[in-house]
Amino acid sequence: MVKRRINNNIRKLRFFHNEMTQQELAEKVGVTRQTIIAMEQGKYSPSLELAFRIALAFDVPLDEVFSYDPEADSN
Amino acid sequence: MSFQEKNIAVSLANFTLILGFYSIRVFQMIQGGSFNTTNVFRLWGIIIALAIIITIFATILTHILSAIIHAIKTGEEKPDIEDIEDERDRLIDLRGTKVTYFISSIGGFLSMLTFVRGQPPLVMFTLLIFSGVVAQVVGDVSRLYLYRRGF
Repeated sequence: MVKRRINNNIRKLRFFHNEMTQQELAEKVGVTRQTIIAMEQGKYSPSLELAFRIALAFDVPLDEVFSYDPEADSN
Repeated sequence: MSFQEKNIAVSLANFTLILGFYSIRVFQMIQGGSFNTTNVFRLWGIIIALAIIITIFATILTHILSAIIHAIKTGEEKPDIEDIEDERDRLIDLRGTKVTYFISSIGGFLSMLTFVRGQPPLVMFTLLIFSGVVAQVVGDVSRLYLYRRGF
Protein backbone atom coordinates (compact mmCIF):
# COMPACT_ATOMS: atom_id res chain seq x y z
CA MET A 1 0.00 0.00 0.00
CA VAL A 2 1.23 3.50 -0.87
CA LYS A 3 1.93 5.62 2.21
CA ARG A 4 0.43 9.07 2.40
CA ARG A 5 3.02 11.82 2.07
CA ILE A 6 0.85 14.84 2.78
CA ASN A 7 -1.13 14.72 5.98
CA ASN A 8 -3.70 17.24 7.13
CA ASN A 9 -5.59 18.38 10.23
CA ILE A 10 -8.72 19.55 8.45
CA ARG A 11 -11.06 17.38 10.50
CA LYS A 12 -9.52 18.57 13.78
CA LEU A 13 -9.54 22.21 12.68
CA ARG A 14 -13.20 21.97 11.65
CA PHE A 15 -14.03 20.62 15.08
CA PHE A 16 -12.22 23.48 16.83
CA HIS A 17 -13.93 26.05 14.60
CA ASN A 18 -17.43 25.69 16.06
CA GLU A 19 -17.75 22.19 14.61
CA MET A 20 -17.79 23.56 11.09
CA THR A 21 -19.44 21.12 8.67
CA GLN A 22 -17.74 19.77 5.57
CA GLN A 23 -20.33 21.60 3.48
CA GLU A 24 -19.58 24.93 5.20
CA LEU A 25 -15.85 24.53 4.60
CA ALA A 26 -16.46 23.46 1.00
CA GLU A 27 -18.52 26.60 0.38
CA LYS A 28 -15.86 28.81 2.03
CA VAL A 29 -13.04 27.50 -0.14
CA GLY A 30 -15.07 26.97 -3.32
CA VAL A 31 -14.94 23.21 -3.80
CA THR A 32 -17.43 20.36 -3.50
CA ARG A 33 -18.08 18.52 -0.23
CA GLN A 34 -16.72 15.36 -1.89
CA THR A 35 -13.33 17.07 -2.32
CA ILE A 36 -13.22 17.94 1.40
CA ILE A 37 -14.09 14.31 2.23
CA ALA A 38 -11.35 13.03 -0.10
CA MET A 39 -8.81 15.38 1.50
CA GLU A 40 -9.79 14.41 5.05
CA GLN A 41 -9.41 10.76 4.14
CA GLY A 42 -5.97 11.52 2.67
CA LYS A 43 -6.98 10.36 -0.78
CA TYR A 44 -6.51 13.72 -2.46
CA SER A 45 -3.74 16.28 -2.05
CA PRO A 46 -5.02 19.77 -2.92
CA SER A 47 -3.30 22.31 -5.14
CA LEU A 48 -1.19 24.96 -3.44
CA GLU A 49 -3.89 27.56 -4.06
CA LEU A 50 -6.61 25.45 -2.44
CA ALA A 51 -4.29 24.62 0.47
CA PHE A 52 -3.81 28.36 1.10
CA ARG A 53 -7.56 28.96 0.85
CA ILE A 54 -8.20 26.26 3.47
CA ALA A 55 -5.57 27.74 5.80
CA LEU A 56 -7.16 31.17 5.30
CA ALA A 57 -10.62 29.75 6.07
CA PHE A 58 -9.33 28.54 9.44
CA ASP A 59 -7.16 31.64 9.88
CA VAL A 60 -4.05 29.59 10.63
CA PRO A 61 -0.66 29.22 8.89
CA LEU A 62 -0.42 26.62 6.13
CA ASP A 63 1.82 24.29 8.14
CA GLU A 64 -0.84 24.01 10.83
CA VAL A 65 -3.19 22.47 8.29
CA PHE A 66 -0.83 20.41 6.13
CA SER A 67 2.36 18.55 6.90
CA TYR A 68 4.76 16.63 4.70
CA ASP A 69 6.07 13.21 5.69
CA PRO A 70 9.49 12.66 4.06
CA GLU A 71 9.67 9.17 5.61
CA ALA A 72 6.88 8.01 3.28
CA ASP A 73 9.04 9.08 0.33
CA SER A 74 12.01 6.96 1.38
CA ASN A 75 9.84 3.86 2.06
CA MET B 1 -23.35 10.43 -5.46
CA SER B 2 -22.29 13.90 -6.65
CA PHE B 3 -23.77 15.65 -9.68
CA GLN B 4 -20.62 14.95 -11.71
CA GLU B 5 -20.79 11.24 -10.86
CA LYS B 6 -24.44 11.11 -11.92
CA ASN B 7 -23.53 12.76 -15.21
CA ILE B 8 -20.74 10.24 -15.84
CA ALA B 9 -23.01 7.33 -14.89
CA VAL B 10 -25.62 8.58 -17.38
CA SER B 11 -22.96 9.01 -20.08
CA LEU B 12 -21.67 5.50 -19.35
CA ALA B 13 -25.19 4.05 -19.68
CA ASN B 14 -25.72 5.96 -22.97
CA PHE B 15 -22.48 4.85 -24.57
CA THR B 16 -22.92 1.26 -23.39
CA LEU B 17 -26.33 1.22 -25.10
CA ILE B 18 -24.85 2.82 -28.24
CA LEU B 19 -22.01 0.26 -28.23
CA GLY B 20 -24.54 -2.57 -27.88
CA PHE B 21 -26.70 -1.17 -30.69
CA TYR B 22 -23.67 -0.70 -32.96
CA SER B 23 -22.26 -4.18 -32.29
CA ILE B 24 -25.64 -5.84 -32.90
CA ARG B 25 -26.22 -3.88 -36.14
CA VAL B 26 -22.74 -4.71 -37.49
CA PHE B 27 -23.23 -8.36 -36.55
CA GLN B 28 -26.64 -8.41 -38.28
CA MET B 29 -25.12 -6.81 -41.41
CA ILE B 30 -22.35 -9.40 -41.57
CA GLN B 31 -24.83 -12.25 -41.01
CA GLY B 32 -27.32 -10.89 -43.54
CA GLY B 33 -24.68 -10.15 -46.17
CA SER B 34 -25.48 -6.42 -46.19
CA PHE B 35 -22.10 -5.29 -44.86
CA ASN B 36 -21.42 -2.64 -47.51
CA THR B 37 -20.29 0.99 -47.72
CA THR B 38 -23.80 2.49 -47.85
CA ASN B 39 -25.03 0.62 -44.77
CA VAL B 40 -21.86 1.14 -42.73
CA PHE B 41 -21.74 4.90 -43.40
CA ARG B 42 -25.46 5.16 -42.61
CA LEU B 43 -24.76 3.41 -39.32
CA TRP B 44 -21.85 5.82 -38.69
CA GLY B 45 -24.24 8.74 -39.10
CA ILE B 46 -26.83 7.18 -36.81
CA ILE B 47 -24.23 6.45 -34.11
CA ILE B 48 -22.76 9.98 -34.16
CA ALA B 49 -26.22 11.62 -34.18
CA LEU B 50 -27.39 9.32 -31.35
CA ALA B 51 -24.28 10.08 -29.29
CA ILE B 52 -24.79 13.86 -29.60
CA ILE B 53 -28.58 13.95 -29.12
CA ILE B 54 -28.74 11.41 -26.28
CA THR B 55 -25.83 13.05 -24.41
CA ILE B 56 -27.47 16.51 -24.56
CA PHE B 57 -30.91 15.27 -23.49
CA ALA B 58 -29.54 12.95 -20.81
CA THR B 59 -27.48 15.78 -19.28
CA ILE B 60 -30.51 18.08 -19.15
CA LEU B 61 -32.69 15.30 -17.75
CA THR B 62 -30.09 14.43 -15.09
CA HIS B 63 -29.97 18.08 -14.03
CA ILE B 64 -33.76 18.34 -13.75
CA LEU B 65 -34.19 14.98 -11.98
CA SER B 66 -31.34 15.76 -9.53
CA ALA B 67 -33.01 19.06 -8.64
CA ILE B 68 -36.43 17.39 -8.18
CA ILE B 69 -35.04 14.55 -6.03
CA HIS B 70 -32.99 17.03 -3.98
CA ALA B 71 -36.07 19.25 -3.49
CA ILE B 72 -38.19 16.27 -2.37
CA LYS B 73 -35.48 15.09 0.05
CA THR B 74 -34.71 18.45 1.64
CA GLY B 75 -38.01 20.27 1.12
CA GLU B 76 -36.19 23.33 -0.29
CA GLU B 77 -38.06 25.44 -2.83
CA LYS B 78 -34.89 26.44 -4.68
CA PRO B 79 -32.65 23.40 -4.40
CA ASP B 80 -28.96 24.20 -4.46
CA ILE B 81 -27.53 21.16 -6.21
CA GLU B 82 -23.77 20.78 -6.10
CA ASP B 83 -23.02 21.27 -9.78
CA ILE B 84 -19.82 23.31 -9.41
CA GLU B 85 -16.73 21.78 -10.91
CA ASP B 86 -13.63 22.03 -8.75
CA GLU B 87 -9.96 21.12 -9.26
CA ARG B 88 -10.50 17.47 -8.26
CA ASP B 89 -13.31 17.11 -10.80
CA ARG B 90 -11.07 18.60 -13.49
CA LEU B 91 -8.18 16.26 -12.60
CA ILE B 92 -10.47 13.23 -12.67
CA ASP B 93 -11.83 14.37 -16.02
CA LEU B 94 -8.29 14.77 -17.37
CA ARG B 95 -7.32 11.28 -16.24
CA GLY B 96 -10.47 9.86 -17.82
CA THR B 97 -9.70 11.72 -21.06
CA LYS B 98 -6.17 10.29 -20.99
CA VAL B 99 -7.61 6.75 -20.75
CA THR B 100 -10.09 7.53 -23.56
CA TYR B 101 -7.30 8.81 -25.84
CA PHE B 102 -5.09 5.85 -25.02
CA ILE B 103 -7.78 3.31 -25.91
CA SER B 104 -8.80 5.16 -29.08
CA SER B 105 -5.13 5.38 -30.14
CA ILE B 106 -4.80 1.62 -29.80
CA GLY B 107 -8.07 1.27 -31.72
CA GLY B 108 -6.77 3.59 -34.45
CA PHE B 109 -3.56 1.59 -34.70
CA LEU B 110 -5.44 -1.73 -34.89
CA SER B 111 -7.72 -0.24 -37.55
CA MET B 112 -4.68 0.66 -39.65
CA LEU B 113 -3.37 -2.87 -39.19
CA THR B 114 -6.43 -4.16 -41.02
CA PHE B 115 -5.06 -2.39 -44.14
CA VAL B 116 -1.74 -4.13 -43.64
CA ARG B 117 -3.59 -7.43 -43.52
CA GLY B 118 -5.27 -6.58 -46.81
CA GLN B 119 -8.78 -5.98 -45.42
CA PRO B 120 -11.14 -3.55 -47.21
CA PRO B 121 -11.50 0.07 -45.89
CA LEU B 122 -14.96 -0.86 -44.59
CA VAL B 123 -13.41 -3.03 -41.88
CA MET B 124 -11.08 -0.18 -40.90
CA PHE B 125 -13.96 2.30 -40.59
CA THR B 126 -16.06 -0.17 -38.59
CA LEU B 127 -13.20 -0.85 -36.18
CA LEU B 128 -12.42 2.87 -35.87
CA ILE B 129 -15.86 3.86 -34.61
CA PHE B 130 -16.08 0.72 -32.47
CA SER B 131 -12.83 1.65 -30.71
CA GLY B 132 -14.04 5.25 -30.31
CA VAL B 133 -17.19 4.14 -28.47
CA VAL B 134 -15.29 1.54 -26.41
CA ALA B 135 -12.74 4.25 -25.47
CA GLN B 136 -15.57 6.51 -24.26
CA VAL B 137 -17.05 3.67 -22.16
CA VAL B 138 -13.66 2.76 -20.62
CA GLY B 139 -12.92 6.47 -19.97
CA ASP B 140 -16.25 6.85 -18.13
CA VAL B 141 -15.59 3.70 -16.10
CA SER B 142 -12.17 5.04 -15.06
CA ARG B 143 -13.71 8.41 -14.09
CA LEU B 144 -16.37 6.68 -11.98
CA TYR B 145 -13.71 4.48 -10.37
CA LEU B 146 -11.65 7.57 -9.42
CA TYR B 147 -14.73 9.28 -7.96
CA ARG B 148 -15.64 6.18 -5.93
CA ARG B 149 -12.06 5.78 -4.68
CA GLY B 150 -11.74 9.44 -3.73
CA PHE B 151 -9.11 10.23 -6.34
